Amino acid sequence: MRNVTIMIKPFFEAVRAFKSGPFKSTDLVKRLGYASGYVRNFLSQATRQGLLVPESRAGKREKTFRANPRVVRDIVLRGGKDKEELLNAMGLRSKYFGEYVALDGFEIIDHDQDLYRLGERVFSNREAPGRIVVTNVGVPKKIITVEV
Amino acid sequence: MGFHLNIGKCWRFSDDEQPPYPTIELNVSSADRNAAISPKVDTGFNGSLAIGIEVVKKLRLTPAGTVLVRTAAGNREVPVYALNLSQPDLGISYATLAIGTERSLVGRKILNDRTWLLDCKEERFCIIAQTEMS
Repeated sequence: MRNVTIMIKPFFEAVRAFKSGPFKSTDLVKRLGYASGYVRNFLSQATRQGLLVPESRAGKREKTFRANPRVVRDIVLRGGKDKEELLNAMGLRSKYFGEYVALDGFEIIDHDQDLYRLGERVFSNREAPGRIVVTNVGVPKKIITVEV
Repeated sequence: MGFHLNIGKCWRFSDDEQPPYPTIELNVSSADRNAAISPKVDTGFNGSLAIGIEVVKKLRLTPAGTVLVRTAAGNREVPVYALNLSQPDLGISYATLAIGTERSLVGRKILNDRTWLLDCKEERFCIIAQTEMS
């Protein structure tokens, strides 16, 4: 768990820079300015923790990585600062601020200012995959109020 | 010309706290489980349904997300659960999201667009059907 905390920040930076696309260790050095030793350590730990998925491409010597889409659900369900950071890194804040979004990994499958309208659309389909996760981006314009 | 008020379906107040509070009976279900629940009617709640941990356990629900809600103590994040909600007397049956709270509540989204009788003397909460008197 301690390692997750250590590796989550560069993970968010990688998501911010490459979204769900592939990247190599040299990309992290060039785009994010990390030292190559730090990058090696990050890639190995983040892969072990399931934050990244390694991919091997035929004919390419250097390994590529992608952010693991399964992590999105875990982080959203955990909530708090990590959720905010992830949604920021995914670029959702500028586009969907004040709304609710339904995510399937890094893919935005639907969004709405009204949580209930969104829920009805997304979950009335019995085939809706269990990996879909719903959350708010910033403070919802139509926030739910419970006076308890 | 006036209105004649017909009292329709009524639900008894719950007396597990004093003074007793109004409730509505609702049917909730997940993919393979269902339950009849009697959440507290909470006009301070602008959503449809909030479910307590006992309902979450009964339906074996797993969270479908987390959302920020405003409470009297400030904003806080709560889990949301996808479930099916039905109430034949209100003519509702749909898939919805319920927020996870300490106790089950039914909010204004379900009460809206209907006339209700809050009868604290007889300890009942009833649907009112209005008919125009000629």
